[in-house]
Amino acid sequence: MIDIRGVRKRFGEQEVLRGVDLTVDRSEVVCIIGPSGSGKSTLLRCVNFLEAYDAGEVRIEGKLIGYEDGAGGARRPMNARRLREMRREIGMVFQHFNLWPHMTALGNVAEPLLRVRGLAPREANERAMAMLTRVGLTAKADAYPARLSGGQQQRVAIARALAMQPRLMLFDEPTSALDPELVGEVLEVMKTLAAEGMTMMIVTHEMGFAAHVAGRIAFIDGGRIVEQGPPRTVFHESAEPRVRQFLQTYHDRNAF
Amino acid sequence: MRPQVILHSFGYLTQAAGVTLALSLAGILLGFLVGSAVCVARVSPRPWASWLGGVYVSVFRGVPLLVLLLFIYYFLAEFGLDVPAVAAAVGGLALSSGAYQSEILRGALNATPKGQAEAAVALGFATSDIWRRILLPQAFRLSIPPLINEFILLLKASSLVSVVGIAELTRVSMNIASLTYRPLEAYVGGGLFYLAINLGLAAVGAYAEKRLATGAAR
Amino acid sequence: MSLETFWRYVPSLISGFEVTILCWAAGGALGLALGFAIALLYRLRLPPLRWALRTFVEIFRGTPFLMQLFLLYSGGPYIGLRLSATAAGILGLGLYSSAYFAEIFRGGFAAVPVGQIEAALSVGMSPFDTLRRVILPAALIAAVPPMVNLLIVLSKETVVLSIITVPELMYQMQTMAAETFTAFDAIFAMAIFYWLLVEAVSRLGRRVERRVTAFMTEEARPA
Repeated sequence: MIDIRGVRKRFGEQEVLRGVDLTVDRSEVVCIIGPSGSGKSTLLRCVNFLEAYDAGEVRIEGKLIGYEDGAGGARRPMNARRLREMRREIGMVFQHFNLWPHMTALGNVAEPLLRVRGLAPREANERAMAMLTRVGLTAKADAYPARLSGGQQQRVAIARALAMQPRLMLFDEPTSALDPELVGEVLEVMKTLAAEGMTMMIVTHEMGFAAHVAGRIAFIDGGRIVEQGPPRTVFHESAEPRVRQFLQTYHDRNAF
Repeated sequence: MRPQVILHSFGYLTQAAGVTLALSLAGILLGFLVGSAVCVARVSPRPWASWLGGVYVSVFRGVPLLVLLLFIYYFLAEFGLDVPAVAAAVGGLALSSGAYQSEILRGALNATPKGQAEAAVALGFATSDIWRRILLPQAFRLSIPPLINEFILLLKASSLVSVVGIAELTRVSMNIASLTYRPLEAYVGGGLFYLAINLGLAAVGAYAEKRLATGAAR
Repeated sequence: MSLETFWRYVPSLISGFEVTILCWAAGGALGLALGFAIALLYRLRLPPLRWALRTFVEIFRGTPFLMQLFLLYSGGPYIGLRLSATAAGILGLGLYSSAYFAEIFRGGFAAVPVGQIEAALSVGMSPFDTLRRVILPAALIAAVPPMVNLLIVLSKETVVLSIITVPELMYQMQTMAAETFTAFDAIFAMAIFYWLLVEAVSRLGRRVERRVTAFMTEEARPA
């Protein structure tokens, strides 16, 4: 479903991604973990080309995203309309929700259906309402984002992405901006999605969640994937010192 | 001090206040068109357009309004253009206000969190839809309070058009002062009118700000 | 106008420029001092005093500068306030700008985080020392950018003084224009001159501003 090969990304002096290879199969849930500044979010953002990678390839169902073959074998930036068409199939959930504050919860979910999918208002509203029901927010349909808790906002954001009926979903630290007691409700929605067979790529710091839901864990450090495998292997049997140290810090912090 | 001077000229002052209000309203509305155009130029990816927009703002914020008004007045005279003084005055107010309004609009655009446009990009929105549905509605809401403030400033600045002889509030106060030999009363009277209008506008601004604060923001 | 004729006016233009600078500096300084005093008095939390200060500020911010000048210059003598045009101009600029300076300083005080004040009091600093050592420095630094802005605005307002015959640059220029029938050339020159002046002052102001605030962020950074 997702094929990442030799992806490199440089921000000025600093090379954030230094040749990343990763594949995600259909209906697979892959969690990406690693220390801050390791390039996790950048990698995720390369998948829907919010971040333009410099070298390598990202393919979605075999189709290269962001670039097209140009004259003389060189590649050139993809036609904007084709890029938009590809992005419609990829849902993304952000750390800071990024809801549009001037629209209600329902409006936020219906807006892309109207503008991007071109649905009639009635149909868009119906589908949006169904999505809000799915994340348990039927009662909040008419509320503006400012009136919602962080957890509720993030669930609206998930509904907004889901309403587009994407083939895969990207989650960029979806619970990092939430108060601890609100994390659970968001993770619950994500668990249900995973159980329904959604293909998901998740950057997260919630190790417990990753251990339960992920089919595979990828540990990234210094712009490279250092280790990947089933949660049990990565969390308990890793020989890689950087992984062990990272997990040790995590355990120490969470020990009472 | 004889308050009755103010009472006697109440009718004149009211009428003049109407002229002041009309002048500034025309100035702020025309200035909004100018300001929008300049703002679009400034955020344009084309270097020459953003350069031109920058020069416009620098010139019209740099030249004092009184100088600008007289410049327009003499410019029209020099080239024999027959433009009514009122039109010239409104034009001057609009050109000047446009520079300030473009900065207000640009600030509001920058104040809209980047993530909101990013979410729309990720959903596959066309660029024109991102502007029309996400950025502009919010920028407009954010700029309402500063625009009301700009209206107050422009209303006060409009007193300068009295120098080209338009019978607005300041000019009429001057006339009353010289007719009655009571400058103290005349200017206090005129000032009270300005004060009343501006306090009213400020209240509208405060109300708008409060309304917007509850509607938006995380 | 011949160069020779223009040359005759150079001394009066120079003197006009000097008067412009004098009015700007003196008016600005007066406004700054008055505004600071108002903001400090406002902190005393005496309701009648607060009300009076508030009224003062609202009046001077709510009416046009030109009206204030007229009132001061031609209305003043009726209450025993006889001022030369220049003195009225300076006093007018000072009163007018003091209202804006007061608001700027009030904003500066409000920008000091309560936590910093609580920290000072919790280590046993007296309220006076807290004001002097913690609140004032932070408030003044926060007030620098709008202060620079206001001073730039004031440099343009000095032009208005020409209307009450203060012999500043604009006045001298108009006198010259009237005597030599070169109104358009003169006003064009004025526009260019003020644009360059304001542009230069703004750049200088931004530099000062960056200096002061950069120093503050440097200081505020934990070691």
